[in-house]
Amino acid sequence: MVATAPLLAARGVSKSFFGNPVLRAVSIALQPGRVHALLGENGAGKSTLINLLSGALRPDGGAIEVDGRPVSRMTPAYAQQAGIAVVQQELSLTASLSIAENIGLGAYPRRFGLLDYPELAVRARAACDLVGLHEPLSIPVGHLSLGRRQMVEIAKALYRRPRVLILDEPTSSLSATETKVLTELLERLRGEGIAILYISHRLNEVMALCQHVTVLKDGACTADRSLEGTDASGLVRLMVGRDPGDLFPQWQASVSTSNAISVRNFSAGLMRDVDLDIRTGEVLGIGGLVGQGQEDLLLGLYGAIPARTASATVNGASGLPGGVPKANALGLAYVPADRKREGLHLIHSIISNMMLPAFARLPALKLRSRRAERETARGLAAQLGIRGDLDRPAQALSGGNQQKVALAKWMPHHPLALLLNDPTRGVDVETKREIYMMLRNFAAAGKAVVLLSSDTPELVHLCDRVAVVREGHIVAMLERGALSEEAIVSAAMGAEQRQVAA
Amino acid sequence: MTAWKETAARRRVLTILRSRPFLTVAIVAAVWIVASFVSRGFGAYGHLRYLVELAAVIGLVAAGQTFVVIAGGIDLSVAAIVTVSAVSLPLLSWQADPTGLTAVLAVLALTTTIGLVNGLGVALLRVHPMIMTLAMATFLQGLLIIIAGGSAVTAENPLVRWLGNARPAGIPAGVLLWVAVSVIVLAAMHATSFGARLFAMGANPLAATLSGVPFASTTLAVYGISGFTSGLAGVLVLGMNGQGYVGIGDPYLLASIAAVVLGGTSILGGLGTYAGTIPGAILLVTITALITVVNASPGWRSILFGSLILGLLLLSGREQARR
Amino acid sequence: MSTVASSRQAGALYWPVQLRRNVGVRGLFAVVMAFLVAYGFLFPGLLTASGFAKFTQSWFPLALVAMAQAILMLTGGISLAIGAMVSLGAVIAATTMTGPLGVAGGAAAVALTGIGIGGATGFIVVKLRLPAIVVTLAGSFIIGGAALLILPRPGGAIPEWLSDLLAGNTPAAFVLLLLIVLLWKLYLATPLGLSLYAAGENPVGAYRSGVPVDGARVAAYAISGLLCTGAGLFVAAQTGSGDPVIGTAFTLNSIAAAVLGGIGFLGGQGTMRGALAGSLLLSLMISVMFFLGFTPVAQYVAQGLIIIGAVAIPQFRKVQQ
Repeated sequence: MVATAPLLAARGVSKSFFGNPVLRAVSIALQPGRVHALLGENGAGKSTLINLLSGALRPDGGAIEVDGRPVSRMTPAYAQQAGIAVVQQELSLTASLSIAENIGLGAYPRRFGLLDYPELAVRARAACDLVGLHEPLSIPVGHLSLGRRQMVEIAKALYRRPRVLILDEPTSSLSATETKVLTELLERLRGEGIAILYISHRLNEVMALCQHVTVLKDGACTADRSLEGTDASGLVRLMVGRDPGDLFPQWQASVSTSNAISVRNFSAGLMRDVDLDIRTGEVLGIGGLVGQGQEDLLLGLYGAIPARTASATVNGASGLPGGVPKANALGLAYVPADRKREGLHLIHSIISNMMLPAFARLPALKLRSRRAERETARGLAAQLGIRGDLDRPAQALSGGNQQKVALAKWMPHHPLALLLNDPTRGVDVETKREIYMMLRNFAAAGKAVVLLSSDTPELVHLCDRVAVVREGHIVAMLERGALSEEAIVSAAMGAEQRQVAA
Repeated sequence: MTAWKETAARRRVLTILRSRPFLTVAIVAAVWIVASFVSRGFGAYGHLRYLVELAAVIGLVAAGQTFVVIAGGIDLSVAAIVTVSAVSLPLLSWQADPTGLTAVLAVLALTTTIGLVNGLGVALLRVHPMIMTLAMATFLQGLLIIIAGGSAVTAENPLVRWLGNARPAGIPAGVLLWVAVSVIVLAAMHATSFGARLFAMGANPLAATLSGVPFASTTLAVYGISGFTSGLAGVLVLGMNGQGYVGIGDPYLLASIAAVVLGGTSILGGLGTYAGTIPGAILLVTITALITVVNASPGWRSILFGSLILGLLLLSGREQARR
Repeated sequence: MSTVASSRQAGALYWPVQLRRNVGVRGLFAVVMAFLVAYGFLFPGLLTASGFAKFTQSWFPLALVAMAQAILMLTGGISLAIGAMVSLGAVIAATTMTGPLGVAGGAAAVALTGIGIGGATGFIVVKLRLPAIVVTLAGSFIIGGAALLILPRPGGAIPEWLSDLLAGNTPAAFVLLLLIVLLWKLYLATPLGLSLYAAGENPVGAYRSGVPVDGARVAAYAISGLLCTGAGLFVAAQTGSGDPVIGTAFTLNSIAAAVLGGIGFLGGQGTMRGALAGSLLLSLMISVMFFLGFTPVAQYVAQGLIIIGAVAIPQFRKVQQ
C-alpha cells in the first residue's frame, strides 16, 4: 500500500525578510480531494508560505515538491503549468481591463498568435458561472465592488482548471450569499479530486469545510493533523498558544461622562448623518463588515478627508479640525491600518519615523537637535521594547515593531484622543498584548481611544462601547453589558441576515 | 566606554566613505588627477577655478532641483526660468539705483513667483509635476520671445557685472555665491524641521500627510525655492556672459537633473542630499571639459557625454527596489 | 443548442470590450469633434483632397510620437529621448535612401535602428533597474549625438517620388495612420500586447498571474522606438532632406498629447485612442493658431496654458467631489 504523492508540498522551507525569520522549517502536503486548512495569527507566516508554494517567492532553505518531485526553480509561470492556482488576499486584477481579460490574464487562449476572444468568452463565462458572477464579461474590473472583484479573482483561478487551488482569506470581503456559493463550489471541486488549501480567520467556515489542518505560530508549524475530533477552541489554543481570554487586559469600568469628541449629522466619504459622542477615558470600538464607511469616519474626524457636520466639539474646540495639522493641534492622533502605505516611511530610519509628527508641528525653520531627537527616540524605544539600532530603516523591523513605531511617534505629543485603524492587523500575539495594554492604560489616564477593528474578539474584550457601522450609518451602539461577538456580527450583517432567514 | 566610542566613530567614518556623495567626490578627484597628467594645462589652478566657476551655475540650478526631487517632484521649467532671469534683468536695470541691487531683487522676486505658480499647480490643482513644469516652460518660452525678441540684450547692471567678473581674494564671486547658497541649502535640508518634512513627503506623501506634514505649503515652498535658485543662476550666467538671450538657460535643465542624480539623490524622492549634488555639478563640468579636450566633433561630444552619465549611473545609481 | 448560444454570446465579447474603453474618452472625442467642425467651417479647404492631405500630414508625426510616448506611459515608464529618436530616424532616412541601400533598405535601417535602440533602452530601464527618466535623458544625448555624426548639418536627400507619395497631394499619411492603428489593435489582441496594461497598473499581480512583465515592458520600449524613427522618416520625406535636430520639439509635444489624451503617469491608465485624440487636438490647436495669425511665439504661450487647463480642470473637479 503506497500513499499517493501529494500534488504539492513544501519540505522544511524557511524564509526571512531583512534578517527577520518569517518561516522556520515548515512542511505542508496538499493531497488530492482534500480541503486543507492553514491557520495562524496574522503575521504567523501564512501569506509567505503561499507565496513560496506558488513560486512568487523563492525559499531560503528547504524544497517545494510537485507530484513528489522537488522543483529547483519555482516561478509563477511554472506553478501555472503545474496546475497550481492562487487566490491572493491582495488582488492581482487590473482595473482597466474587462472581467474576461482579467480572468484569462497570463493564460490566454490563442489563435494565430492572437488572443482568441470567442474562446476566452466561453471559458471565462464558464468560470464565472461557477462562482455566480453574472455581470457582462466586458465590464472593466475597476467598475466592480470589492466583493465582486474577489469573485473575479476566484473565477480567474478556476479558469486555469487547477489541480491545486490555494485560497487566501477568500471570504473576508464577501457577503453571506457569496460565501455560501463559494462553500458549495469548494465542496464540489473537492469531489473532483482537486487539492485545496484554505486560509480563513472564520473558524466556523474552517470546521465546516476542511478535513485537515496545519497551524502556524510565529513562523513555525505547531500542528499538522486531521480536523476530526478537534473543536474551535482547541484550534485557537494551537494558534495563539494560550487561551484567548489571556490576550486582553482586565477590563475596568470608566467613570467619566464628559465628551472628548462630539459630532451631530456628521458626513464624510461613505458616512452619512452620524451622531456620535466619544467620551474621555473610554475605548470606543468601531465594528462592522469591511468597507462600510468606518475608515471614512476616522479620516473625517481627523480632517484627512472633507467632512460636513451640523455641530461638532473636538477636545473643547467647536467645529471639525478640517485639516490634519489642525487636528494634531487639537490633540488628535491617527494610526492608519496600512502601515507600509500610510503609516511609515520604510526607507527612513526608525528615529526619523518616530520624530516626524514633531517635525510637522515645529516651526519650519527651527533648527533640529539630533541629540535631543536621539534621546526622545531612545526613550520611546525603551518604553515600547523596540530593540536594536535606531538608525536602521523602518523596513528592517518586524510587522509588530513597525506598528509600535507608528503608535510611538504620537506619544511625545500627549494626544487627547487616539484614532486607531485596525492597529493589530498583521501583528504577532505578544505585540498585540502590549498594544492592548497601552490602549487600556491610555484610556485609564482619561484620554479617549477610538478603535476601528476587523477583529471582533478585540472589540468585545477591549472596548467600553462598540458602534457598529453598516452602509454608512451607525446601526447599533452596544454598551459593555450587551457586548458579544454574536451581537456585533448580527448588527453588522443586519438586513442581509434577515433576507436569508426570509 | 572609550572602545565603544571608537567603534562608533569608526562606523561613522565608514558610513561617510561608503556614501554616494563621497563616491562622487572621489570620482571627481580621480578624474582631475588623471586628466592633469594626460592633458597639459588641465590641472592648472586657473583651469580648475574656471571649471568650478562654470559648475556654480549648474550647482545653483541644481540646488532648487535637489529640493524638488527629494520632496518627490521634478522641475522641468528651471531652464526657462534661468532664461527669464537672464533676459529680463537687463530690461529692468534702471538708473535710479547705482548698485543695481533693486533690479536683481525684482528679478529674483519674479522667478520665485514663477516657482510658486508651479507649486500652486502641483499642490492645489494636483497637476503632475512633470506636466505642470513642462507647460510652464512652454509658456515662458513664448513669453520670452515676445518680451525680448530674438536679439541678445547686454547687461549694464553693476552688481551683475561684479558677480560675473570679480575675484575677491582670487576666488570668483560666483563661486563665493555658490558656497554661501550651499551652506544655507545644506542647513535647511538637514538641520531644520522643514528639511525633515521634505524627505518624509518624498518617501511617502500619504504617510507624511497623515502625520501632520502640511503638504500644500511645503510643496509651494519647494517650487518657490527652485524658482529662486534658478533665478539666481540666471543672474550669475548673465554676469559671466555679459549678454542675455533666449535659450541661454537651455543647457541647465538636463545638467541640473544629471547633477542631482549623479550626486546620489533618488529621482523617486525621499533620499539624497545636496552634499552629493555639489560634486555632481563639478563632475558634469569636468566631463564636458574633458570631452572638449578630446577635440571631437559635436556628435561625438554628445555621445561621450551621454554615455559617461549612463555609465556612471550603471556604476552606482541603481535604484533599490522599493517595497 | 447551448453551444450555438454560447458561441454567439462569445463572439460578442471583443466589441463590447472595445466600446467600454470609449467611456473614459467620450468627453475628449466630443471636444475633438467640435474642434474639427469649427476648423472645417473656418477653413473649408479641409474638405478638399489637398487640404485633407495637408492636414493629416501635419498631424501624422505628432500622432506617431504620441503613441510612442503613450505605450511607455501605459507600462509606467516615460521617455525624454523621443525628439532625439525622431531626428535620428530622419537623418538615417535622408542618408540611406538615395544611396546603395535604396528606399527599401533605408526604411529597414530606420526601422531596425528604432527597434534596436528602443529595446536597448528598455533593457537598461527594466532589467538593470535604472529610472526611465534619467536613462532616456542620458540616452537623448547619445542618440542626438549619433544623429549629428551621421549628418552634422541639414542635408541628405529623400527620393522625390517618396516625398511626393508621403507628403504630396495624396492621402498616404492618413492611410498609413489607419494601418498603424490597425497594427496596434492587432498587437493589443496578442497576449503580450494586452499584458501592457497589467504590467503597468499592477505589476506584482501580473507577475503572479504568469504574465511576462519584463518582456512586455521591454517590447513596449522597442515599439516606441520604432514609432519614433518612423515619424522621423516621415518628417524627412516632408522636408525632402534630413536635419539632425528636427525632432527636438517632439519630446514635449508627445508628453503633452498623451496627457491631453488621458494617459496617466502611474501606468495602466488611459487608452491609445485617447492619446491619438490628444495628438489630434494638439495638432488642431496648432493649426488653428497658425491660421488665425498667431505668431509661433503666441502659440507657445497658448499651448502652455491649454495643457495646464486640460489637465487641471478634470483633476480639480475630482478633488471637489
